[in-house]
Amino acid sequence: MAFGDYPKEYNPAVHGPYDPARYYGKPDTPFGQVKINELGGWFARRNKTPSAIIGACSRAWWRWQHKYVQPKKVGMAPFFQLLAGSMTFFYVINYGKMKHHRNYKYH
Amino acid sequence: MLSRLALRSAAARQLAPTSLVVRGSASSGVRDEVNFPRPVRGEPGKVRLGFVPEEWFQFFHSKTGVTGPYTFGVGLITYLCSKEIFVMEHEYYTGLSLFLMVYIAMKKLAPNVAAWLDKEVETVEKEWNQGREDTLSTLEKAIADEKKAQWRAEGQEMLIQAKKENVLLQLEAAYRERAMQVYNEVKKRLDYQLEKSNVERRLAQKHMVDWIVTNVTKAITPDQEKQALDRCIADLSALAVKN
Repeated sequence: MAFGDYPKEYNPAVHGPYDPARYYGKPDTPFGQVKINELGGWFARRNKTPSAIIGACSRAWWRWQHKYVQPKKVGMAPFFQLLAGSMTFFYVINYGKMKHHRNYKYH
Repeated sequence: MLSRLALRSAAARQLAPTSLVVRGSASSGVRDEVNFPRPVRGEPGKVRLGFVPEEWFQFFHSKTGVTGPYTFGVGLITYLCSKEIFVMEHEYYTGLSLFLMVYIAMKKLAPNVAAWLDKEVETVEKEWNQGREDTLSTLEKAIADEKKAQWRAEGQEMLIQAKKENVLLQLEAAYRERAMQVYNEVKKRLDYQLEKSNVERRLAQKHMVDWIVTNVTKAITPDQEKQALDRCIADLSALAVKN
């Protein structure tokens, strides 16, 4: 699979138009239905190559796009989600500096 | 030969980037509409508090009831603030004032802006569909015109048939006219022949009669004439006596 190609598992004759939010490989148990004691095995079965991780992020991005950004009449929700997400992200990366602004010595 | 070679090399060059399509169509597979339906453009996902997905509240609902997620959120914030994991430095108050402004703007402006944007969305979608609909109607009109032209062509065939029949009729008329002409000409010649033979016969007869009369009168001698005259006189006198 080179850059710009579809995933190996995608077959236009069977799957029809390509949906970037969809995983076309063999589906595993959804994460929400995994028992705690099966979690290790579930994680071990995951493909952890860089391309697979990037693919998972891409699918997540497109799922979010299809759900909140691409519908015909969307509200402010995706913008507020982006805002909240970026606020959290920048707070986390700046946390080392923020720490020095604490007002109380003891908690 | 050279051009065919060029074509073949061009086709080979074109194959490389389309290998994706070739791979898809080469592997045998039937379109799976049940597990892989055609994606449709759905309604936007529901959110609460402006940005928290509805699914998050549904996840809590079965375990904690309706207030659970809110309690969890407030508890988490209280914990973060209490332990100063979330530090309220000067930017926090900037954020508070920004939040207030955004909130008021949302309450005041959102309905109008939303109505205007919805209208724009409809306009844009209508514009995008317009081209397709125009093309469709144009093509339908073209099909109708084509059918009408075919119908007219059938009529043209009938017209050609009628014209052919007309030509045949004219040919028939010309044939009959000429046959009549031939008949008349032949009749004229035959009449001429008949008239000629009649005239000849009449002349011959007349000539014959003349000739016979001349010869007969020439053959009568004066004696015979005298005898005849005498005889006539004698007959006359005999007749006179009887009366």
